[in-house]
Amino acid sequence: MPFKKNALSLAVLSLAATLSLPVWADEDDALNLQAEPAKPAAASAPSQTVRLALELAAITAQRQADGGSVSGHRASIDLRLSAPLGQGWRWALSDRLDDIQPVQAGQPGTRNQLREAYLNWQQPDGNTGLELGRLNLRHGPAYGYNPTDYFRAGATRLIVTADPVALRENRLGTFMLRANRSWDGGGASLVLAPKLTNSGPSDQALSLDLGATNSQDRLLGVISAKASARWSGEALALYQRGTGTKLGANLTGLLTDALVLQGEWSTSRSDSLLNQALAQAAAPQRVHQAALGLTWSAPFGWVITGEAEYNGAGLNQAGWRNLLAQPPNTVGRFFAGTQADQELASRRAWLLYATQKGVAGIRQLDVTGFVRQNAEDHSHLAWAELRYHWPRVDAALQWQRSSRGALTEYGSLPYRQVLQLLGSVYF
Amino acid sequence: MPELTNRSHPAASTKPGRRRWLSQAGLLWVAGLPLTARAGPDPQALLAASDAIRNPSQPFRVTVSLSEFEKAVQVNTTTLVSFARTLESGGQFASLLRFVQPARDVGKVMLKNGSDLWFYDPGTKSAVRIAPQQRLMGQAANGDVVTVNFARDYQASLAAEESIQDGERHQRKAYKLLLASSSSDATYGSIELWIDSSSNAPLKAKFFADSGRLLKTAYYRKFQPQLGMDRPTETVIIDGLDPQSVTIVRLSDYGFRSAPTHWFQRDYLPRFIAD
Repeated sequence: MPFKKNALSLAVLSLAATLSLPVWADEDDALNLQAEPAKPAAASAPSQTVRLALELAAITAQRQADGGSVSGHRASIDLRLSAPLGQGWRWALSDRLDDIQPVQAGQPGTRNQLREAYLNWQQPDGNTGLELGRLNLRHGPAYGYNPTDYFRAGATRLIVTADPVALRENRLGTFMLRANRSWDGGGASLVLAPKLTNSGPSDQALSLDLGATNSQDRLLGVISAKASARWSGEALALYQRGTGTKLGANLTGLLTDALVLQGEWSTSRSDSLLNQALAQAAAPQRVHQAALGLTWSAPFGWVITGEAEYNGAGLNQAGWRNLLAQPPNTVGRFFAGTQADQELASRRAWLLYATQKGVAGIRQLDVTGFVRQNAEDHSHLAWAELRYHWPRVDAALQWQRSSRGALTEYGSLPYRQVLQLLGSVYF
Repeated sequence: MPELTNRSHPAASTKPGRRRWLSQAGLLWVAGLPLTARAGPDPQALLAASDAIRNPSQPFRVTVSLSEFEKAVQVNTTTLVSFARTLESGGQFASLLRFVQPARDVGKVMLKNGSDLWFYDPGTKSAVRIAPQQRLMGQAANGDVVTVNFARDYQASLAAEESIQDGERHQRKAYKLLLASSSSDATYGSIELWIDSSSNAPLKAKFFADSGRLLKTAYYRKFQPQLGMDRPTETVIIDGLDPQSVTIVRLSDYGFRSAPTHWFQRDYLPRFIAD
């Protein structure tokens, strides 16, 4: 028996040694690896930003009304430049040119968006700065709806995706003078955005579209503060000549090492979206807008956000029925306005947004998706993207599907399903 | 898999071990023998000395290149410029990192200041708070690219003195330390760290989740004179579940660079140039 025990032990040890061999072989293999040398230009000039991207997309969509399909394509050039001028000065330019075929009735096929063009000055220690020009200034940590993002109004000139995160990338900045100062644990900024035109938004291909972004005099003050390493927030006050004042606040908090909370709230006196759409005169009411979300970093790389959204000026169930019974022009104007403003059209909505980098063990493959539900009429929109990265090229497949129901928000979209195949090259 | 996930936490064995060591020390004291001669090196001091080799004591900048390999093929490269400094509160490093490669990520900025972790995208103009468990760069943990003093976040105990193979396949005599997380800012549940017994240079580390699961193995190698002493300029990180998944973190272009404390907050991210 002792011999048998020893023999068994030896066998187990031999097996364990055999099993452990591949691990050591793997570590040895890993130590044989040598990284390719870094490109010196990339590392030596971080103060200059040059990013040029060309994107081509093929689109096929199924009409909501008759189930028929339409197809088209899009070509986009996206340019971002930023470089120092000396003595603390820098300049920055961000521009996007889209060509969409076939051309939609009443719309230009080609459209340019000068998103940003500004000068920036900073003190050497970086605690005081000035910016002058067209800036895309964004506030608010929520994913799908940002009540405290006051310069979003009118800024979305062209919608090429349903993804709310990507939409922010394509919007216009506002011409403004911005002064900011930061200190340990916080900062403050003051923004003056003047009225520069009496005309409204423009559909011209090469328009600066001042009517969309600078049709009112606006003054915005922001104070940010960090309560602790886990909590921080901003308080905002916006004065708009002729419209009144908006007050808002937003915060983010780290609840656990895997759970982040984000919230926004804003209040103002304004008319309801339905009254604005139907041109019905009514006394402005005190309106609250809010978004509250939780982002969970789940095991195996999934990052999942659930968000509740509220717009006191938005449409309730009866409001949707009323609006969608109106002539198509009225309905079209309503959606064009809410999309350009990135406004929540419904009184209440839910968003579930999820993303994972490195799907199925493939490091270069990312997946992103969301479901947006109108909590008033219970219609919904689903969207998903698979994206594969090469060093300078991306390929993506996007799918979008909306629910049925002609008298609902998403059921009234022109297309029931959209498929988009994209290729992007970064120079 | 079950063996890995159910494995007991390495730090769990330190308490009984420490009790045995204390009782042995008590017997030696009773016998009148000099305690310090048998106590060996102070593990926390060893850890701090090893930290001082990995990280300069003054604010500095360094270029961080991450090369990701799958089955020995390089599939991704990310290059960042990092500014790091210790802050008055707590003494842990805070890091600001700006992406310079790949082209699609140029200008993005990451901030880590304890649990305060932010990611700024110049495209969307948004600074997003990130949970410490969220990965930002493929399989690499955020803790792999930021500067961290282990001695601030972990309590060390001496496990053994043994000979190991280092990242350049030389046999080295090393102290094996067990590090148990002692701060909520710690990235890992525990770490096994091998430190050269003559120079205090870090040689190898194994990083474990709170559950005890092996997350990754790291080899520190290519020691070169940088900012006043020999420091590791390359770390080979081997995934704990898939050893064919490897990331090489290379540090270059070291330089002392003063960065004011107010840079290390969300408001400053859009203005961080890293020049």
